[in-house]
Amino acid sequence: MEHDSLKYLSARLLGLRALLLAMFVVLGVRLWQLQILQGDYYDQLSESNRIRVHHTAAPRGVVLDRRAEVLVSNRPSFTIAVLPMELRDPASVLPVLSSVLGVPLSEIQRRLKAGRARPFEPVPIRRDVGIDVVTALEERRSQLAGVIVVAEPVRQYRYGPLAAHVLGYLGEIDAAELHALRDRGYRSGDLIGKSGVERQYDNLLRGEDGDQVVEVDAGGRPLRVLRESRGHTGRGVVLSLDRAVQQAAEEALQGRTGAVVAMQPRTGEILAMASSPAFDPNLFAAGISAKNWGRLARDPRDVMINRAAAAAYEPGSVFKIVTGAAALHEGVSTPQSRLLCTGSLSLGPWVFRDLAAHGTIDFTTGVAQSCNVMFWQLGRAIGPDRLYVHAKAFGLGDRTGVDLPLEVSGSIPTTEYKRRHWKEPWYPGDTLNMSIGQGFVLTTPLQIARMVSAVANGGELLRPRLVRGLMAPGGTMSYGFSREVQARVKASPAHLAAIRAGMAAVVSRGTGRAAAIPGLSVAGKTGSAETPRGRPHAWFAGFAPVEDPQIVVVVLVEHGYRGGLTSSPIARRVIEAWRARQAPPIGDVTDSPNGVVVSPAVPAGGVDRR
Amino acid sequence: MIGRVAHPASAEPLRRRLREIDFVMLCAVLALIALGSLIILSASRSAEAPLGLLRVRALQVGISVALLVAFAAMPYRALADAWKLIYFGNLVLLALVGAIGRTSLGAQRWLSVGPLSIQPSEFAKLALIITLSKLLSERREPIRRFADLIPFVAHVAPSAVLVFLQPDLGTSLVFVAILFALLFAAGTPLRSLAIVGAAGLAAAPFCWHLVKPYQRMRLAVFLDPSLDPLGAGYNLIQSKIAVGSGKLFGKGVFEGTQNALQFLPMQHTDFAFSVLGEEMGFVGAIGALALFLILLWRALRTAAVAQDGFGAYLAVGVAAMIAVHVFVNVGMTMGIMPVTGIPLPFISHGGTSLMTNSAAIGLLFSVLLRRQKIHF
Repeated sequence: MEHDSLKYLSARLLGLRALLLAMFVVLGVRLWQLQILQGDYYDQLSESNRIRVHHTAAPRGVVLDRRAEVLVSNRPSFTIAVLPMELRDPASVLPVLSSVLGVPLSEIQRRLKAGRARPFEPVPIRRDVGIDVVTALEERRSQLAGVIVVAEPVRQYRYGPLAAHVLGYLGEIDAAELHALRDRGYRSGDLIGKSGVERQYDNLLRGEDGDQVVEVDAGGRPLRVLRESRGHTGRGVVLSLDRAVQQAAEEALQGRTGAVVAMQPRTGEILAMASSPAFDPNLFAAGISAKNWGRLARDPRDVMINRAAAAAYEPGSVFKIVTGAAALHEGVSTPQSRLLCTGSLSLGPWVFRDLAAHGTIDFTTGVAQSCNVMFWQLGRAIGPDRLYVHAKAFGLGDRTGVDLPLEVSGSIPTTEYKRRHWKEPWYPGDTLNMSIGQGFVLTTPLQIARMVSAVANGGELLRPRLVRGLMAPGGTMSYGFSREVQARVKASPAHLAAIRAGMAAVVSRGTGRAAAIPGLSVAGKTGSAETPRGRPHAWFAGFAPVEDPQIVVVVLVEHGYRGGLTSSPIARRVIEAWRARQAPPIGDVTDSPNGVVVSPAVPAGGVDRR
Repeated sequence: MIGRVAHPASAEPLRRRLREIDFVMLCAVLALIALGSLIILSASRSAEAPLGLLRVRALQVGISVALLVAFAAMPYRALADAWKLIYFGNLVLLALVGAIGRTSLGAQRWLSVGPLSIQPSEFAKLALIITLSKLLSERREPIRRFADLIPFVAHVAPSAVLVFLQPDLGTSLVFVAILFALLFAAGTPLRSLAIVGAAGLAAAPFCWHLVKPYQRMRLAVFLDPSLDPLGAGYNLIQSKIAVGSGKLFGKGVFEGTQNALQFLPMQHTDFAFSVLGEEMGFVGAIGALALFLILLWRALRTAAVAQDGFGAYLAVGVAAMIAVHVFVNVGMTMGIMPVTGIPLPFISHGGTSLMTNSAAIGLLFSVLLRRQKIHF
């Protein structure tokens, strides 16, 4: 069965063995040559591997307001860093470095440990040092082998704390973020947006670092640049904020704890979003010092939280907008209905008391005077389940979807929820509380602004937006953020008109007179929301002009006591600042006789390059 | 033939057959796999998830050992019967890679099967060894004339072209090397082989135009690394620095600076030997080469003692495949072979390569287990 060809096999196997031996002898000889004969030479090369890769940090994109005023930019700075692979003698270098920089030795060691995995990349020890520190360092150059000075752009917030919660701040990337983003070019030691727009749009703002491959001598001095890729600056972001309106809002809030939201009711663009107390993001730009962080963290008022979107409050009487619209829609009331307010309402054995007896009043006056008795009666007639449906339709108790991180949803109670979580039935008194925005109702000022916008624009629930466009590094603008209608409220346009009339009466003759502005018709609703945590929260939620709403303003002052006294004047100042700025801004939304149209700057088809 | 008795091996008691296992070869393979795992751990310690890589390696080793046992247990002549299925199945897989394969590092070499990526060009080596061995063992007459070679060249050509187009020049050259080794073992006159070789060399300028620019650069840089010290030549220079700086005893496992500083490119795959040379020095590198030599020596011994031609050619093919990989890969890290991206068997991180080589060793065991010794 076997054949002739195999008779060669043993001879040929001998040949193959010889060939195999020859191959391995070649490899062995080459190994001997490299490792034994030339070992010292290569050892030296590896000791001072002459090629070093530097990353040149790309400047982050600028942030502009709606009139292209620069809010955030970058300035050059010096960072002192350590190159672990060059740090041959940490025991003598690090104490010197510590004393020159004023950074504790333990902190330097902690940072070096964190950067251990990539010893050829500089580990930043202290960012944004003065030229005096750089000079002091250069004078002791010989004692500081492995320490380098890196020129890095540092974030500059032009107006300090202005719009701090919207803009956000930077911090060094932490382990969890690094893990989540490692495929997207993030490296240990990178600065990354930690909140606000800086975080939401970090991937656009951050740009791409350049790489520089440098040949260095044994002392680490660069000899020549071998290859360089320039990287590119991040995209600029154009916010919908108006710097002047924002400033007015923050000045008006000065000394209070609370929030202001100003929004265009027909586009959802946010003109101002203030949260007080604020912080200065510049403190974070180059890594915040322990002292400054301690001061911020110890503040019992929770400085870092954005009270406009990341905190929920009882809306109090502002919620009567929902109850009123629901009453009209459900047919339990009409704009012409009249009722008698005796100053209290009896419910079985309990008597619910209002602040005043308003006598026989119509719907408009009931809104204007914020008559609790009227809204209790309306709420009781509507019932909690229908009231819930209307509140949800106005977008309350749900995130608005604004382009900011960490938004909260708040909550609107249901009878079912109370039964399940509180193991208690829903009492008729709960309905009364709910109809005036007390009890389990929690909303954010931003949700209230979206709701009032819907009242003002005829019923469209719009996604609030902070960013209107992007700017390429060359300065080319693109506006890709079109207005987005999320839902329609249940109330009809006629019913919303009745609500608007009531809100106009609030400012012209009711509880919100402090918001009135001569020569401009302002509408609004005040609220003094009782809270278990102290004095009532003071609300004002309104718009102007009444006949053609252009701006919605919501003011919340924590424990501000009375909306009419505390919050209405703040709203007035914001609206006044807005009125003073009425030159048409770039790419704006204009009105036409037929209603609202969006100008070509915000095309339906997406991005418009100009 | 005298001494090659053809009764079924299964008639022998299992204990006796197991004695036929070549423990020297087995130990060499296991030692190489263990060494490779150590190097992968060292090379990946600066990666973001070193344990993840090691877990993958553990899984691959598990599958590979299972494959080795399975191939050893399987009567290898069943493969000869299934040769058509193997041959055309292989061509279909290679064509699939071209059609729907996954692209990585500029070459389309991978097929995604669920969460796994397989590299059919690795399996193709084994498929060609099996089918060529079958064809050679069927010949009644020795190869004499040049024309006798044509069927064998035609047999390998489709696979080689498909792989060349991926483009994977290195693997298509491995196919050619396997073909030459088998033809040589089958007694082809050296003159005929020389003619085929010369024809291949004559076709080289034509191929030069077909290869991608980066491959051309690699070859040019091999001749003169200083042409491009940061691009294609960078790998070569850094690898030589790594190996050379290991000196006699190396810098110690986990202590290699070239490795740690990531000066080495693809340090756990193609340049694993550089890490070995840097961290374990001349002693370690020679040790690894010695393990390979022992393994290959025993593989050729398997060919000598095989019961039939098919088994003998299988063993020669497997030995040729592993030998070419070792020579090209190790030579590459030391700058005596061009950079072709061929992995180091059993050591480089790469599942399909490890599985293919383990299955190949399993085949050798199958050949050993099913032979008859002369019983007086």
